Amino acid sequence: MIRTYYDEMYDGAGQVRPHYREFARWLADTPTELLAQRRREADLLFHRAGITFTLYGDELGTERLIPFDTIPRSIPASEWRVVERGCIQRVKALNMFLADLYHDQRIIKAGIIPAEQVLANEQYQLAMQGLDLHRDLYSHISGVDLVRDGDGTYYVLEDNLRTPSGVSYMLEDRKMMMRLFPELFAAQRIAPIDHYPNLLLDTLKSASPLDNPSVVVLTPGRFNSAFFEHAFLAREMGVELVEGADLFVRDDRVFMRTTDGPKAVDVIYRRLDDAFLDPLAFNPDSMLGVPGLLAAYRCANVVLANAIGTGVADDKSVYPFVPEMIRFYLDEEPILQNVPTFQCRNPDELSHVLAHLPELVVKETQGSGGYGMLVGPASTAAEIEAFRARIKAKPHAYIAQPTLCLSTCPTFVENGIAPRHIDLRPFVLSGKETRVVPGGLTRVALREGSLVVNSSQGGGTKDTWVVED
Amino acid sequence: MRLSISHETTYHYQDQVRASIQYLRLTPHDSERQHVLSWQLDLPRPVRAQVDPFGNILHVLTLDEPHDAIIIGARGQVEIDELREAEHESQSAWPFLRCTRLTEPDEALRRFAEQHCHQRRDRTALIDLMQALNQAMIYTPGATEVDTCAAQAFAGAAGVCQDHTHAFLACARSLGIPARYVSGYLYTEDCAHLASHAWAEAWLDDAWYSFDVTNQLARPERHLKLAVGLDYLDACPVRGMRRGGGHEQMHAKVFVAPQQ
Repeated sequence: MIRTYYDEMYDGAGQVRPHYREFARWLADTPTELLAQRRREADLLFHRAGITFTLYGDELGTERLIPFDTIPRSIPASEWRVVERGCIQRVKALNMFLADLYHDQRIIKAGIIPAEQVLANEQYQLAMQGLDLHRDLYSHISGVDLVRDGDGTYYVLEDNLRTPSGVSYMLEDRKMMMRLFPELFAAQRIAPIDHYPNLLLDTLKSASPLDNPSVVVLTPGRFNSAFFEHAFLAREMGVELVEGADLFVRDDRVFMRTTDGPKAVDVIYRRLDDAFLDPLAFNPDSMLGVPGLLAAYRCANVVLANAIGTGVADDKSVYPFVPEMIRFYLDEEPILQNVPTFQCRNPDELSHVLAHLPELVVKETQGSGGYGMLVGPASTAAEIEAFRARIKAKPHAYIAQPTLCLSTCPTFVENGIAPRHIDLRPFVLSGKETRVVPGGLTRVALREGSLVVNSSQGGGTKDTWVVED
Repeated sequence: MRLSISHETTYHYQDQVRASIQYLRLTPHDSERQHVLSWQLDLPRPVRAQVDPFGNILHVLTLDEPHDAIIIGARGQVEIDELREAEHESQSAWPFLRCTRLTEPDEALRRFAEQHCHQRRDRTALIDLMQALNQAMIYTPGATEVDTCAAQAFAGAAGVCQDHTHAFLACARSLGIPARYVSGYLYTEDCAHLASHAWAEAWLDDAWYSFDVTNQLARPERHLKLAVGLDYLDACPVRGMRRGGGHEQMHAKVFVAPQQ
């Protein structure tokens, strides 16, 4: 089967798209050996900076470098403005959905979402029922995963409203590009992104009703795959990086142990899943959380960002309802498209999915990180049959989507430059206002033909440019 | 019936505890079935009450001075409406369909539920299930641990009220019936050691109905409700953590008596 992919750099006739012309000229003028030398330099610098991630499912807990590709992904500013508006619209609606779900449940009463589907969902947190949050914000930091189909249309693949990661790579990739190729940034206007840590701190502070709240970053610890990012963001914001054991609760207030005695904590940017936050309220075996934290949170004595219970809104079984949420809460038409989605919990959709497995992408509703999914066209008959059995055993745990083409971007590979599939994760910050730094994280599937961009599955990253056109 | 309760829990530690924190669900609240006439907690230091995610009254006791014992007392009087079988509530019951580690049904529990209920999803079906579970899991103190899950206890064919309740919840939820864990007190003439008790509630016809597997009671005549939740961990009267202390000895004294 011949597929046509949308290439970010070249149009259908093989001509360089206007927003890439400057870069293409530079690439043609720069000697290959110099480029190779700069790439080796980048590898060395990333190693030295310790930018690594830990692979899950790897018993040795091996740390690996996420491959960085020096050919940027570039987006014309006029196109970006649409994507930006679309992401902001989506995150606003998702926050309104969460506020509604944990209060009046108007959207259920209106018959738009079935009660059972959200309320019996494991990610729906009873602890949030009736709790009022400052500014009614639940997802302060959101990552919206976008891909482009064959004709270049942007689609939202999923929303990440729990603890979205990757922003440190966005920032480090830019720093690296500016260091290796300063001339590129002099030749054209590329929107800056280095103010992200300031915006993040501002967002975290505005999540609290206090004037100057004290903020900490709570990490599960150095064995977490994103520990580098937790340390990085704490340092960039100039706030403390803490583990659960560094915090304690007394009389429903959260304190940090310091050498000068206990210090009150007002906002916790937590990079720890709900289930691990408080061993007295959730998973009792968790050594990562803070006993008593939930009670303090419910007394409104501390802010958690993101809030508890946001997972019910980015669950893949709730994803198909997001366009309806936008219409319901904002009375607007969605700016960004959803990928058509079959819900295996519905018998007629299930039989369609089972009849078309070789063409579809099947995902676990609770899965993330590219684990537990089937890419039909890239799978063997045996793999497909094995997955069929899993779907039949637990239909409600799966959704299926048509295999999107995913746009490509020229990428350095072993034998020169070749197109590889990419996605885009802009980071949306919701505080007094909703803001997005231009671009986001571009992930690239380095294996030829692969559509899985997750770093845990052999994906790399690229610097992402928004270029004035 | 008017019940008078006195409940004292004492923890003794081998070494000094540097700091401890307890979530206490030891205060009943008013409902259609019960009316709290008086209630008071005796704690090492004053603590403000709050409402937990399940609507239970929660006290969070934090102690950060070194201590080698904690005494937690609860006492009061509650009027029970013996004739009322079911209780209504405005909160949705859907969240009580989900399973937890302690209430996850395995194939054996699923099959057991199917065998005794078939297509029936009504109260008589759940009463049959309750009685069958009571036969299948012999009441045996010491046969299980506090963290034994429903499937393990069922496989071992033995357990206490906590295990009976977990197995019942696993079965009911696997049938698509929302069900929840209840902890509380039970008045019995004969055996005082049963006074601190656990049973289940299932959502049928828009109301919560009680199922006490251990005592084979589907009418909660002598049951005083303290707290509800998805499982034992949500509803247990005391759930705590401490730094230091070494070995712990716990002693509980519970008296439940009718008042005239």
